[in-house]
Amino acid sequence: MSPTATTTRAAAKPAATPTFAYAGKLLRVNLSTGKTWTEAWSENDRREYLGGVGLGAKILYDEVGPKAQWDHPDNRLIMATGPLAGLPVWGTGGLTVITRGALTGGATSTQANGFFGAALKYSGYDAIVIQGQAKKLSYLYINDDVAEVRDAAHLAGKDTWETQQALETETGLAGHRLSVYSIGPAGESLVRFAAIQGDYGHVASKNGCGAVMGKKKLKAVCIVRGTKALAARDTRGLIQAADDIAHDLKTDPSTSTLYNWGTLPGVVNLSKLGALPIKNYTTNVITGVDMTEWEATKLRAGFDHRGHQCNACGMHHCHIQVIPKGPHAGERVDEPEYEGWSGAGWTIGLTDKVPVSWLNTRIDRACVDVNEFGWVCGWVMECMEKGYLTEKQVGFRLSWGDVEGAYKLLQMISHRQGFGDLLAEGVKRASEKVGGKAAECAIYTMKGASPRGHDHRGRWEEMLDTCTSSNGTMESANPTFQTEVGAPGRINPFDGEQVAKLVGMIRGRRHFEDSLGGCSFTFRTKMANLARALSAATGWDYRLEDAVRFGNRTAAILRAFNLRCGIGPDVEYPSVRYGSQPVDGPAKEHDVRKQWDHMLDVWYDTVGYDRKSGKPRKETLRALDLDWLAKDLYKK
Amino acid sequence: MRSSRADIEVTTWVTKHVGGDGSGTRLFPEPIQRGDTVRTALRRFTHRFPELDSALWSPDHSELGSHIEVLVNDAVLGVAYDLDTPLVGGERITLLGQFMGG
Repeated sequence: MSPTATTTRAAAKPAATPTFAYAGKLLRVNLSTGKTWTEAWSENDRREYLGGVGLGAKILYDEVGPKAQWDHPDNRLIMATGPLAGLPVWGTGGLTVITRGALTGGATSTQANGFFGAALKYSGYDAIVIQGQAKKLSYLYINDDVAEVRDAAHLAGKDTWETQQALETETGLAGHRLSVYSIGPAGESLVRFAAIQGDYGHVASKNGCGAVMGKKKLKAVCIVRGTKALAARDTRGLIQAADDIAHDLKTDPSTSTLYNWGTLPGVVNLSKLGALPIKNYTTNVITGVDMTEWEATKLRAGFDHRGHQCNACGMHHCHIQVIPKGPHAGERVDEPEYEGWSGAGWTIGLTDKVPVSWLNTRIDRACVDVNEFGWVCGWVMECMEKGYLTEKQVGFRLSWGDVEGAYKLLQMISHRQGFGDLLAEGVKRASEKVGGKAAECAIYTMKGASPRGHDHRGRWEEMLDTCTSSNGTMESANPTFQTEVGAPGRINPFDGEQVAKLVGMIRGRRHFEDSLGGCSFTFRTKMANLARALSAATGWDYRLEDAVRFGNRTAAILRAFNLRCGIGPDVEYPSVRYGSQPVDGPAKEHDVRKQWDHMLDVWYDTVGYDRKSGKPRKETLRALDLDWLAKDLYKK
Repeated sequence: MRSSRADIEVTTWVTKHVGGDGSGTRLFPEPIQRGDTVRTALRRFTHRFPELDSALWSPDHSELGSHIEVLVNDAVLGVAYDLDTPLVGGERITLLGQFMGG
């Protein structure tokens, strides 16, 4: 296939300092002109911004001004990995996508795995920074020194798995030798919650990053596993750290479940805490379903399955499985993560495992975020049941648990057909447009971000995190070895003050993880262990306190970006339904709304931000060595 | 008249520490003695299962560790019950492995 533009990189000059663990270069792509070029980044910048979201946040802040909305050519789509990618640490094929997203109109960082990060590093790049908009549908092909913007007309309309298969056929490569991240029809149709899916089942899903890619007319990024050397500064030390991390994953009580079953145990566990989202938050009581059939062992045993590990991963997490019966028998699908079981299942009243598994992969193939799909589809189902939406409006009758109806809705959304055109705007905009009682049934944050696939009315820390975060999803996430940073090991989950302090105290860890080029599951170890691996890889003396400081620096930069976009404290609230009191189940006694404003007060105080303006305080920025950001934020 | 026992329900991966395979639920009737609290009943119970004992409690055994959730009558500790709330019998104490992941 002839490329529409080709640039062979100029011979790189010898680096002034060794680039242990790093390729040392960023690949720049301007889709408007078809040009590609490389840019070195300094040892100092690598130490300050690491990679992943750390690097992406800085580029986003520097290069995307407030007038460059998510669909503007000047918006950047940054696909970044990090210093551990491609090195012998479990799960180090990591990709973090950073952009200005279509749902919130603010910053996005969303992470996926597979082989992308390793393939990119072996080709000689730490990140791809994409700007401009192509004139026609294109894809980016990378093979060592060759970086080409190619015509993708033959890929138009294909779903993400079909796109990957087509590019495998073209290149004659598959498996770990070729990494493809692409958009399906939802991305091409600019669905506001379109995702970027890759390597059969891995999804950078949040805040409409797939719509950004679609607007740039970029169908796929296709990377041949390169041949460039990649070295750790202290190989023995790195392998020792990696072994210790793997040992912890296998043996620690809190992580061995991830090692054995990935996120499958979430369904049963969260149901006991009132945190499994059932039928669009209308109940937390399970009737007529034998929950022993939803335990991890049974979920996996119910399908013929094979391991589908990411780069250098030894976990028993990702699997490909086969639909065993029914109209889709014999189809290969990706074993759903917990959020697949919830978004394509419990949220929409579908509790038959086989159709949930099938629908989940169909959602991935369309490149739709499974969480937002659950909130949209569940909202339509509830509104139709209650008469808030009619068959005439929607175009057909959709009831709880109707898998074929849900699939039809997915198609309508993905192609913006009929009522699907409104739903493609996301549940916040769609419900506000419909109005009336229907509007009160929709689950979203006032920023427009999609909550993860839990019932956060039983997990207040995640609701607060989702509403206050600056990355279109959660930025503190689950407490993980939180005593390491001085946070309590256990809190009362319905005491707003304790919740808010905890969320503020653990912030930073996630951004550190998402900057290293690995997986948030294989990195479920103490941050000190990750810092030790980073030190061995780079030769730096990197410690826990550096990691915490780094994470909070990144959070402050994302916060400043959002404030510049006009997103501030006034939208840090849950929607009516999202913040409602459960009508039944384990959390029914607890009403988060009564404590919300105090929770915000405590959170702001804990993270060192100004409650009224939303800005990080000057002294907070000074402590983080972000004087340049303080000058920007506080200039007259 | 109330029962003189509480049921201790061990679920999912925590069952590995009480002779299970890491799935399902194991139910253990635990006789309640005069003056028993959630803490004393759990201490007595975990004393019989050394692996569970080290997984449930902090190293000095003064507090719960952070990896296993404890629910009493389907509510997490800190709401209607805490560790030192007296037991009257008939309670169901659930040990639920902390869930990580999305």
